Amino acid sequence: MTATEAEAEADSAVVGDDVYTDGTLVRDPDIEESLSQDEYDPKGTLALLLVYFLILALMWTYMYFVEFLGNGATVVG
Amino acid sequence: MSTPGETAGETVESAREMLPDNSFLIQYPHVSRVVRSLFLTAFVAFGIGAFMGVLQALHRTGIARIVESADYYTFLTLHGVLLAIVFTIFFLAGVFTWANTRSLDRPPVSKRFTWFWVVTMSAGTAMAGIAMLAGLLPSIDISADVLFTFYAPLQAHPIFYIGLAVFVIGTWLAGIDWFRQFLAWRREHPDERIPLQSFMVLTTMIMWFIATLGVAVEVVVFLIPWSLGIMPAPNPLLTRTLFWFFGHPIVYFWLMPAYLLWYTVLPKIAGGRLFSDPLARVVFVLFLLLSTPVGIHHQYLDPGIAEGFKFIAMTNTMFLLLPSLLTAFTVVASIEHGARQRGGTGYFGWLKALPWRDPAFTGMALAGLMFAAGGFSGMVNAGMNINYLVHNTLWVPGHFHLTVGTAVALSFMAGAYWLVPRITGRKLYSRPIGLFQVVLWFVGMVFMSAAMHRGGLAGIPRRTAEPQYPQVAFETVAGSVGSLRLQLAFGGVLLFVSALLFLMNVGLTAMNNKPARGLDSALPPALSGPEQSPTVLDNLKLWALIAVVLVILAYSLPLYSIVQGAGLYPAGQEASPAVIAPLLEVIA
Repeated sequence: MTATEAEAEADSAVVGDDVYTDGTLVRDPDIEESLSQDEYDPKGTLALLLVYFLILALMWTYMYFVEFLGNGATVVG
Repeated sequence: MSTPGETAGETVESAREMLPDNSFLIQYPHVSRVVRSLFLTAFVAFGIGAFMGVLQALHRTGIARIVESADYYTFLTLHGVLLAIVFTIFFLAGVFTWANTRSLDRPPVSKRFTWFWVVTMSAGTAMAGIAMLAGLLPSIDISADVLFTFYAPLQAHPIFYIGLAVFVIGTWLAGIDWFRQFLAWRREHPDERIPLQSFMVLTTMIMWFIATLGVAVEVVVFLIPWSLGIMPAPNPLLTRTLFWFFGHPIVYFWLMPAYLLWYTVLPKIAGGRLFSDPLARVVFVLFLLLSTPVGIHHQYLDPGIAEGFKFIAMTNTMFLLLPSLLTAFTVVASIEHGARQRGGTGYFGWLKALPWRDPAFTGMALAGLMFAAGGFSGMVNAGMNINYLVHNTLWVPGHFHLTVGTAVALSFMAGAYWLVPRITGRKLYSRPIGLFQVVLWFVGMVFMSAAMHRGGLAGIPRRTAEPQYPQVAFETVAGSVGSLRLQLAFGGVLLFVSALLFLMNVGLTAMNNKPARGLDSALPPALSGPEQSPTVLDNLKLWALIAVVLVILAYSLPLYSIVQGAGLYPAGQEASPAVIAPLLEVIA
């Protein structure tokens, strides 16, 4: 981190109004809270990734049918 | 839509004085000009390339054949080269110039040197572009219908290869410029960790320096002398192998600026902080190490390369899944952090607290979603046995339209909505149009890519102007081939409309007289900062050395075997088409 980025650790820089006033994010100070690393548990990420792995497993199962049951043997060489 | 503090009659120039002192445009007006120039070239190439794309989608499906089928391959080459090389790399150069300057908090060492590489890259692009476009004019004896994969025996006019060589030299100079900028910073900050964005730029460029050695040898040693008529036709397998030595890592060269945006900009847009700076560094180091010794996985069906070498390439490729899956975790956890700071709750309810009305956020999020789907079809491509099923079918363009065509291109468009106001000082022309445009791209790609994947499973070939053969009936798993063609063409048209909307929106932003607001250039620091990772991660020399060793291990024996097998210039190789020979005959 450069000095500039380190200085941005102040709360005002992290959740300050003017950082986002170009219209990219509408912020509501009433509901907003600053979550530190210890307070944050990314369980939603875990849930999404489990869904992704489930889809991958199902797709692989599907590929088994396409590759081995849908076609004759592929012989190369 | 007005922003707080906006007053009637305020011009960009007068408002510029009111921008915060640490906005990028105020701190680095010259670098902003460089980035604008690079983006302009990228977007012009994007517009032409996208037009070539929709022509192909309509042509090969038989819906509208506006051009001759013989010219299809000229359009295909323009589409591939302009989008996969010019658009992506010029945009990368703009993002890297911005990111390196912003994170090191100092400009490049020499203005003149920076403009020198910009001009070099542009000159190379112009030469290659002229060669490709001339293929459409029968009266000019110049063409370059060799597709994006420019290896023997297809031959292009020398100006195409020379242009590519000049372009690659331009990218090397750009990399040298960013390293000089870093070394100047290092002299003033001998004990600090490399700022994250700069770390990403430097590791990506080391990977690029290694990867482009393959294409440099291919083009300079073999293709240019051959196309000039000085040397005989080279061994096609050798030029293919040298091309793919470069052709796979270029995939990560496209992807790394998108990752840079996902890791450093997306958390800010989502109102959160990057989950882990050390994980981000590990991911970029892994890409540096693993991107290059895998190119042979594009050659599973090439005779002349032993199955054992292909198996090693497959194993290396599967390791590449690791940094991509690490990225899925880190980036999703970073935007979830933003959602939870803004009141999001539950296992899935937090998704509602994300800024979905912002095209920059939504574009990058949808790009990430498409990349997850591309991960699956990529695993199929990478597996030696299943690859045989889809090799050279429409499945393959279906795959890379998810990765480079969406994960990269849509992230770039979304990133442009965020970055262009920062380098012009002008307000984004229309956020609603931007939002519509990124969603339209996603929908268009769902139609087109799904149809391509399914067509590939049915055995429909890629790179063919008229894939309709009376003696062959393609059998699809579900639905008819006719419906797949319609979906492919429909998706292609939606994508083209989306591309036009993007170019219009960005063009009008560049001319917008309303000033942008709040362009603070600071990015929120990571939750887990670099101080929590070992300093060896920043040892770029070590990682570069290991990357070179891995390349030597993966490529020395296959290359030796190829040269031993058929030699550098096997007898009886003929070029097609012979570009220079007729000219020499006329002169003689």
